[in-house]
Amino acid sequence: MTDISMKSGTSRRSFLQTAGLSTVGGAAVLTGTNTAAQAQSGEPIVIGGPIQMTGGGAADGIEFKRGLEMAAEEINAAGGILGRPVEIVVADTESGGDDKITSAGQRLIDRDNASALITGYNFGSQIALQNVAADASVVYMHADTARAHTALVGSDPEKYWQSFMYCPSEVYYGFAYLNYIKTLEDSGQFIPVNKKIAIVTGPIQYSINIANSIQEEAAKYGYEISLYETVEAPTNDWGPTLAKLREDEPGFIVVTHFFPGDQAQFMKQFLTNPTNSLVYLQYGASLAAFRDIAGDASKDVLYATNIGVLSGDIGADFTARYLAKYGDKASPNGGAQTYEALHMFAQAAALAGGVGEAYDDGQNKKVADRLRNLIYRGPTGAIRFDKQTQQAFSYPVQTNDPSLGMSHIFSQIAKKEENGKIISPVPYSVAEFRKPHWIKA
Amino acid sequence: MDAILQILVTGLTLGSMYALASVGLALTYGTMGMFNMAHGLFMTIGAYVCYSAFIVFGMPLSFAVLIGIAAGGVVGMAMHLLIVKFMLHRADFQTTIMVATAGVAILLQDLILKQYGAYPFKQPAQIEGQLTVASVVVTYQSIAIMTFAAALIGLMAWLLTNTRFGLAIRATAMNQDAAELMGVKTEQTYLQVLLIAGVLAAAAGILISSLASLSPDMGTNPLIRAFVICVVAGLGSVTGAGITAIVLGVMEAAIGYYIGVRFGFPTMLGLVILVLIFKPAGLFGKQGVVRA
Repeated sequence: MTDISMKSGTSRRSFLQTAGLSTVGGAAVLTGTNTAAQAQSGEPIVIGGPIQMTGGGAADGIEFKRGLEMAAEEINAAGGILGRPVEIVVADTESGGDDKITSAGQRLIDRDNASALITGYNFGSQIALQNVAADASVVYMHADTARAHTALVGSDPEKYWQSFMYCPSEVYYGFAYLNYIKTLEDSGQFIPVNKKIAIVTGPIQYSINIANSIQEEAAKYGYEISLYETVEAPTNDWGPTLAKLREDEPGFIVVTHFFPGDQAQFMKQFLTNPTNSLVYLQYGASLAAFRDIAGDASKDVLYATNIGVLSGDIGADFTARYLAKYGDKASPNGGAQTYEALHMFAQAAALAGGVGEAYDDGQNKKVADRLRNLIYRGPTGAIRFDKQTQQAFSYPVQTNDPSLGMSHIFSQIAKKEENGKIISPVPYSVAEFRKPHWIKA
Repeated sequence: MDAILQILVTGLTLGSMYALASVGLALTYGTMGMFNMAHGLFMTIGAYVCYSAFIVFGMPLSFAVLIGIAAGGVVGMAMHLLIVKFMLHRADFQTTIMVATAGVAILLQDLILKQYGAYPFKQPAQIEGQLTVASVVVTYQSIAIMTFAAALIGLMAWLLTNTRFGLAIRATAMNQDAAELMGVKTEQTYLQVLLIAGVLAAAAGILISSLASLSPDMGTNPLIRAFVICVVAGLGSVTGAGITAIVLGVMEAAIGYYIGVRFGFPTMLGLVILVLIFKPAGLFGKQGVVRA
């Protein structure tokens, strides 16, 4: 028995005694493979995180970095990947465009010797890092939630064998939203003042795609679009937009411009003279920063995410440990993304016999093959990749089996001090939908 | 009617913040021929110091606001004493000072990032409540922003026109050599100008963050707008910058309502191009003179 395998055995016992449930699935498998395998070498495996640590996306970026670090600690406590410890190196993409994102990814590979790139989401065209990863033959995992990834990888799977989006694309936000409000109406949980939907989107393609998917499909569900407004980032004063909303009161308001600070200001200013509208804030309201800035104005806000921490033992355990580690202002929804991506990668790499260096497409292709065939259950649900597009399946839109798809969850905020409670879909809902307090009609 | 009132409220609120952000920039350029690329960071520092004084050190809010404003002045003075005064007499001052202050801006932004991280903190300097004017809701926060900005800009205008100190600034702006021959200590005047610019920028930063949140790069957007305003007004025209800021604020709100929010800022940029083509010195006169 090598030193490393002895260490692995010790780590396994102590790990299982101290670690929470959300790591057992990933790290216990890893521990098993570490015990069985001979260590490759003691050299650390560098995982590069091209993450937006500054700028508009930084609130999420901070959580993405934390998620990677937390997973790395657990993986290393379990003996690393076949005995090799994992080391996280982050490069700031500055919430910028493809120039910043590409150079950050390239720097991680060429300067820091990253063997894989794992991140949450970045802005830009959302197809920049796929090309960096393809040129360097390193596995790249991201949660850009971008149709652009699906189109790119689906069009040339031979070239983009290494790029994986571990969540569904943004268009599912549109479908799921329309499905959900229709269900609310049909079940009598909510009676809108009319069938009008006012859409407020932002300058980023992701936000525009979600807005467009709602706009294009609304009529099929019996709704009409009364306003389609694009704002810039940041938007501090919502006066002109709110004036339009008040002039033609809609039954539903959808804000797909997802910056949490801007969404918080929207709610504060909306509530000075609210309309009888159900307000849905896409994604941003899931972050602690939103509740922190909006304060009491966050109450009863409806939001959704297609990669959020679920209820149940795994999600609750992760949330408790994450908040204990990073404090109450931390957002488990953000951290969970990179956390589970790194765990999934580590598991696939261990099963494939280790991680290759950059530009070594032989070994890294084996890791990619494992990822493509793995089903991984993390705090945000089950990650299972579509083999053609290497995009995670969505539940309940694409599959009706929650163990085979990433759940698109709707939540509603009850108190500014707490994350929203999941109100859909089953089996993860823990609360009933409440009519927002500002709706008097 | 409601829409017009709403546009005015939004426009005046935005314009007040833009005015505070731009008059300091105009004053610095008009007096010293210096385009201060760190002006946006003065705003950021004011906002963060106010936040820290209230949240971290538990000071009363009014005192925290004053400390935040004073911090902008201190940083302005420090920049003069450590950097600007050594470059003032170089032939290529206007160019090199832009590079130097851009460097200062990057350094300060990174220091703030290191100290506070990128979490978008809530600015505590906020006033809750609202009143209704002809069915349009006006928040006390908006009223406070307009009042505070008007008071500070008014005070600065009074200083420039009614005091020996203001006279010295205007004399230095007109002709540095002649001012020195008349006994004006121009080095001291430059120091005072950067102090005032820092104070105004810090106040702007506190107000802007009260309608947004704190972030290390929060000064970037206002700096670009302040630059646009200064160019349209005429670089160096303090009164012009104030008036232009209000007009552009209202214009941006009106465009946001009647055409679309996304067209507000591009229209401002289009205006800059038109001004540079047809009135290169700006709407309010020639460069190099501080006109209160």
